Amino acid sequence: MTTTIHVPEQAHLDVPHADPVRRKKPIRPAKAGLYALLVAAAISALFPIVWMLSGSLQSLHQLLKGDTLIPVVPQWGNYLTAWIEGNLAVYLTNSMIYTLAAVIGILLVSSLAGYALARISFKGKGIFTGLILAVMIIPAPAMFLAQYKVLLALDLANTRQGYVLILITSGIPISTLIMRSFFASQPLDLEEAASLDGASAMRTFFSVMLPLARPGLAAVAVIQAFAVWNEYLMALVIFNDNSLMPVQRGLTSFVSAETPQPQILLAATMISIVPVIIFYLIAQRQIVDGISAGAVK
Amino acid sequence: MTASLTPLPVRRPTRAPHRRRPTRRRSLAGYLFLVPALALIAVFTLVPFVEAILLSFQSWDGVSTDTPWVGLANFDAAFRNAPFWASMKNVLIFGVVGFVVGNGISMIMALAVHSVRKGRTFFRTVYYLPSVLSVVVVGMVFSAMLAPESGIINHMLGAVGLGGLEHDWLNDPDVALLAVIGVFLWLHWGFGFILFLAGLQDIPQYLYEAAELDGARGWTKFRYVTWPQLAPVTSIVSLLTLLAALQIFGTVQVLTNGGPGYSTMVPTLQIYTQAFTYNNYGLAAAMSVIFGGALVLLSIVQLGVSRRRASA
Repeated sequence: MTTTIHVPEQAHLDVPHADPVRRKKPIRPAKAGLYALLVAAAISALFPIVWMLSGSLQSLHQLLKGDTLIPVVPQWGNYLTAWIEGNLAVYLTNSMIYTLAAVIGILLVSSLAGYALARISFKGKGIFTGLILAVMIIPAPAMFLAQYKVLLALDLANTRQGYVLILITSGIPISTLIMRSFFASQPLDLEEAASLDGASAMRTFFSVMLPLARPGLAAVAVIQAFAVWNEYLMALVIFNDNSLMPVQRGLTSFVSAETPQPQILLAATMISIVPVIIFYLIAQRQIVDGISAGAVK
Repeated sequence: MTASLTPLPVRRPTRAPHRRRPTRRRSLAGYLFLVPALALIAVFTLVPFVEAILLSFQSWDGVSTDTPWVGLANFDAAFRNAPFWASMKNVLIFGVVGFVVGNGISMIMALAVHSVRKGRTFFRTVYYLPSVLSVVVVGMVFSAMLAPESGIINHMLGAVGLGGLEHDWLNDPDVALLAVIGVFLWLHWGFGFILFLAGLQDIPQYLYEAAELDGARGWTKFRYVTWPQLAPVTSIVSLLTLLAALQIFGTVQVLTNGGPGYSTMVPTLQIYTQAFTYNNYGLAAAMSVIFGGALVLLSIVQLGVSRRRASA
């Protein structure tokens, strides 16, 4: 993010020299308007989340009246009810398991593949690169049905393994391309040194290149963690056993099976986003890096 | 690794004769490194891709092992399926609005954030926040907000004297699609925003300085520096936003489940419903081939266009 800070500073330094008189006065109302726009957009982005928090702490009666944002008497009990009735301990644990397993799998598989495509010369490399690019064009709506059929055939429908394998597979193409460009930008010396020392390709990869690739791995991990945590379509298709469902699928199952009162549902929804929000605030830099790296590929 | 770097000059000559053999070994290593990725892609992407096409010529109830061939019957049924075409029309509206309005908001807000010094990180953090929420969470929160009696949206409209605009947003066929599109935009504009902002930060400052020397001001600078420099980002953001809009599923399923009637039905939901609610897997496969094929074509055309533009 260093560039973020750098560019505007230069811009600001240049302005007085280029145009000392004209710039200063008319900029005020324009700037006020600009900040008004920025603040309005910020409010509209935050409002539904604030409202969710507020609603989750209200009584049913108050929520249905819908006339206040500040709960008169905060109903902390809503959260306990949501946690128990919503079966959230199970769903959140499942989501954690799936996210952890899938992200580790994606990191391992795509860094191996990305390294091969960036650094090892072998026959057919162009074809494999093309294949991975081409696979990214196939959209989920064209596949999810048949993916379910393949899982059925492999006896993997309604299993944790089946879901994790699907999650890993959908994360591979973009992550491989990100890792490939990351490895391609690394200096050659260390790798050459390692191979001259007689290290095998595998050894060079794990003990020399992978540690170097930490920033790339972090960006991939963060982006994929959100993608996996928020995945819904395949969870809907694969699971009918509640004890295996991740939290997104669990929430919709909660709604259809129990028809909870709205304040309880809002509390359950609120609980489900706590890990996401915390992670988001911690891992911001990697998010920006990861999205940019992924889109440019 | 610094330790192993030091003896390098000494070792190089002794090791040199062996260097040829490792290339073949390394070539093998290349394949080994790729195997996990290729195997997973083959089993869970390529096989299903082919399987979807095969299934569209078969009849399957989702359970039995018997999947008789039925020729083009599924496609025939798909073409005569009114909800499917309603869903295609709706998703086209999603696509166009997402493309124009969504990208517009993303770009304008990126320009706005880029032009201020204070609070950049704060605004960026807040604007991207909706994008990290799941479609289920967003669908549930907005369902409650858009509820006719208790929903905050109607209350606010009433409070500012716009009571005439109050609706039963998700159950009124006239406005349901509009409401769902609004939710989609709220959820999705931060994604394009982040990319536009990163793109703006990558535009070299000297281009603006040169333009200023030539007397360029606000709009002219945007037209002749920012816009063309941002073109590669614009084209990729446009494609990604368009694809996201066209593949919308969870948001719609949670908010309206395609209703009322078919007024908010979208293809992915229609495919899902035909398969998993009505057990018409063959028909659903035909729909997914038609719709998926259209998406693939769109990506290819768009990528081709932007590549030609980049090389021109």
